[in-house]
Amino acid sequence: MASLFRSSLRTATATAIAPRLSRSITATTSAAVKCTGMKNLGISRQAGMAKKGFHISASRKILPAGPQVIQGTVNDAAEIPDPNATHGSYHWSFERLISVALIPLTVAPFAAGSINPVTDAILGATIVIHSHIGFESMVIDYIPHRKYPTLRKGAMWALKGATLLVLVGLYEFETNDVGITEAVKRVWRA
Amino acid sequence: MFMFTRSSARFTALTLPKPFFIARVPLMAAQFRPITTSTSTSTQNVSPDNAYSILVAQRKQRPISPHLSIYRPQLTWCGSAANRITGSLLSVGAYSFFAAYAVAPAFGWHLDSTTIAAAFSGLPAAAKFGIKFAVALPFSYHSWNGIRHLLWDTGRALDIKDVYRTGYVVLGLTTVSTIYLATL
Repeated sequence: MASLFRSSLRTATATAIAPRLSRSITATTSAAVKCTGMKNLGISRQAGMAKKGFHISASRKILPAGPQVIQGTVNDAAEIPDPNATHGSYHWSFERLISVALIPLTVAPFAAGSINPVTDAILGATIVIHSHIGFESMVIDYIPHRKYPTLRKGAMWALKGATLLVLVGLYEFETNDVGITEAVKRVWRA
Repeated sequence: MFMFTRSSARFTALTLPKPFFIARVPLMAAQFRPITTSTSTSTQNVSPDNAYSILVAQRKQRPISPHLSIYRPQLTWCGSAANRITGSLLSVGAYSFFAAYAVAPAFGWHLDSTTIAAAFSGLPAAAKFGIKFAVALPFSYHSWNGIRHLLWDTGRALDIKDVYRTGYVVLGLTTVSTIYLATL
């Protein structure tokens, strides 16, 4: 019941409740839940709580509001992106393929006890690709193109540059040193 | 260490307050307001450019939505955040090493495995264990949780019960393999 008044609690429980709601609760109850939302709005408007809304916890701004870019009006239709074969499922499958490949590549050299230079190079390259994809997702998540178009572009190019430098370093390491697996073994047992 | 609790809020039709009366209060008040209010409000013409900058300035005053701290820590989202944090730690480590290795000749650094192993062997036992632990923990967690993600990608174990079950399995396996690797 407390969750009806404390928005924080309600948000926290929303994910847990949602499937249950859709499955077992009747139509009348879900209508009533909608009305609770209206009721909250009514209260906040009435009591002049517009400043704080209906948050119980203190509002803490960890970052200032980003630049506001307003394009068009609310009546504009959503843009449909151009279809591209490399977007979506192929891209997704490639990411999974890289992740799955990492399991045997990591385990095999240690389990077999012998080091194959080619396997080691493939392991290194796979780690770099996996990391690159991971960093890319973080840039996409935390630097939205809509708000920071220049920073986003810069971050993406910086990442590409870093990955290139890392690939050079990997090549050098695989060529001149003992390989990742053997190096880790040596340091770990040192 | 907090406990991961599963939320158990229940809705029942009877305990919900009826919205009818509260929604009507402002309307009733409006009906009894005196009609003698003055209608002379001053307006001001603004150019579209000005209107845009006013709108932008107003939007910056909007309340920012509350951050992660308002959510109760739960295994579901904490585990997900940990996956990203551990992954980025490992990747930042790997990128730093290989990038440094690429530019090492230009700066005269010695980053070959023999030198590093020699330097590592000179450390006190506690430092050795600490460093190994600091590497083994994110590696273990990200590996086990990565397998959990691949399991989800096949469409399995997506039920909330299974998400918790596999989450605890990952925590258990991480503990065991971290201790094993760090003491190796």
